[in-house]
Amino acid sequence: MIRVAVYGKGGIGKSTTVSNVAAALAEKGMKVMQIGCDPKADSTILLRHGKKVPTVLDLYNEKRQDLKLADMVQIGYGGVVCVEAGGPTPGLGCAGRGIITALEKLKETGAYETYKPDIVLYDVLGDVVCGGFSMPMRKGYADKVFIITSGENMAIHAGANIAMAVENFRSRGYASLGGLILNRRNVPREEEKVRELAEDFHTQVVGTLSRSDLVLAAEEQGKTLLETYPESEMAGEYRTLAEQILNACREDGTC
Amino acid sequence: MRQAYRIIPIYTADVSGVCSALYELGGMTVMHDPSGCNSTYNTHDEIRWYDQDSLIFISGLTDIDAIMGNDEKFLRDIEDVAEELKPKFIALASSPIPFMNGTDFPGLARALTAETGIPAFSVSTSGMHDYVYGAGLALSEIARHFTGAAEKRKRKLNLLGVTPLDFGPQPMVDAMKRRLEKYGWEILSTWAMGDTLEDLSHAGEAEVNLVVSSVGIPAANVLREKFGTPFLVGTPVEGYEGEISDALEKAAESPCEAFEDKKENSAEKSGAQISGEQEELWKVTPDQVIYLRKKDSPLSGFIPTPDITLIGEPVTMGSLAAVIEQKYRKKVQLLCSLEITEGLLRQEDEVIRGEEAMEEKLKTARIIVADPLYRPICPESATFYEMPHIAFSGRIYLKNLYNFRKTT
Repeated sequence: MIRVAVYGKGGIGKSTTVSNVAAALAEKGMKVMQIGCDPKADSTILLRHGKKVPTVLDLYNEKRQDLKLADMVQIGYGGVVCVEAGGPTPGLGCAGRGIITALEKLKETGAYETYKPDIVLYDVLGDVVCGGFSMPMRKGYADKVFIITSGENMAIHAGANIAMAVENFRSRGYASLGGLILNRRNVPREEEKVRELAEDFHTQVVGTLSRSDLVLAAEEQGKTLLETYPESEMAGEYRTLAEQILNACREDGTC
Repeated sequence: MRQAYRIIPIYTADVSGVCSALYELGGMTVMHDPSGCNSTYNTHDEIRWYDQDSLIFISGLTDIDAIMGNDEKFLRDIEDVAEELKPKFIALASSPIPFMNGTDFPGLARALTAETGIPAFSVSTSGMHDYVYGAGLALSEIARHFTGAAEKRKRKLNLLGVTPLDFGPQPMVDAMKRRLEKYGWEILSTWAMGDTLEDLSHAGEAEVNLVVSSVGIPAANVLREKFGTPFLVGTPVEGYEGEISDALEKAAESPCEAFEDKKENSAEKSGAQISGEQEELWKVTPDQVIYLRKKDSPLSGFIPTPDITLIGEPVTMGSLAAVIEQKYRKKVQLLCSLEITEGLLRQEDEVIRGEEAMEEKLKTARIIVADPLYRPICPESATFYEMPHIAFSGRIYLKNLYNFRKTT
């Protein structure tokens, strides 16, 4: 089982990218599980065509000891197993601890054994703001962390923070850095800046995505681009990225 | 390992202090807590539990309540109970989990007041302070919310900082009160044992307040600010009541400067609005602490080897030290492991942090007066006098409380 966590600045396109990569991997015949680790609970929305899925934490809050795996899971486009960790109402509780509990509940209810995914994609909220958001990169969860960034300064800055966290946790047996994914915003010196960031952390830019209006058009329809425009160039880019992620995981044998 | 406790316990926590201080006042105390260790503040630390009713509730916080911030559930549960039991107030106290979560207790208290019409307040406990902190802040909230305008009356006083955690059962408190009454003082209210919330609400009529343990300091500062009532610090242990009475008489004659300063702009202030920076609440000045007034004692100053070593709460033990020095002409040193000691210790006293430091310090002690649970870290060569302290050993030694017994 390949286990991957994807981090990056809020709004950089993590969920869109992860969902399209999930769809591309599913096309290849892989069993994919995508777990949204964000209180907003919208990571898998394109795969499930906007259909509501109760979050792990909402269900646990309601059912306590009667929590059932089947309630937490919805099968989306391409057979992708969709899960949303969820979190508290903004301004209350503890979202970070929520991520830990949600991932623990998935384990406790046998999610990985039951669905036997070939690959698990953890789509994690913007930054490693507290211990809870490092949970997906802890031992027993993801093996590789990929950071999505553009050439915008704030995205680079967030990417550096995440890479730093991965580096700091090296001795704890956490996930290692798989590489950067450049999601182009077409800002000046974009490739150069992202390449510099990769060099700073002794990693590589494993894939690049173009800025495409088709992605937005697909989102308008509430679907992934792979589903709406499967023959487009952009769909090809997602398929290539999916291969690049798999290759990066397989290269050092950790996945 | 310097802060590790292997043999002796630590003093009970702030949450126990809150429950103890508010136990008899007819309010409803709600601990926002998973209910894992509530026997600590309800039974082990609470000697009144089996004889006297009190409305102490545990919210039964769960992991998912904390994660999701289920404040509404917490509020609804309290409102349901309050509607049925009609408490005189609602006190909210925090524990480590809501503390880490940053739960907004003052905000929740305001919401409860708005919803139920019952005065509600919160005490900013975390489970990581000692009982003095929790009990002190709880009593200061009572002073803020439930005392009203009053005319001063001669030779009337309040005793502040009285809980079983420091003073044991009610007869011990009654004995302390009688010592002062012998000198013509009328005790208006005792905060908070043996009196009702109604009794405490008249506290503003006192011409002076006496803080008998460090627990009483925040309430004394609030009453000083609200009513200009001066306060002194000292416990009328047997043999010390005369000196305390003299000091009280002098204090009653002196106008309170802080009150005079604030009189002009205090008109629009309600009790609940009194500025209450924590540091100010715990403030005492050397002239307020009776046992720090060394007039002509040949025993004052640094003492390399004291004759007698006391361990415990600064005000009660500081007062006892003063009596022993006067009566027996022995050098006494107080060792204190509690958090709040600022301005309360004599020059020769020491703050000791951790069991190892205490054990080391006691190696040269000759006579030790302390809670029996300190005994295993005392040298065999020392003579040990048991002085049970409920805040330290709970109910274990209740039966022989304050029965000074030479055991070695």
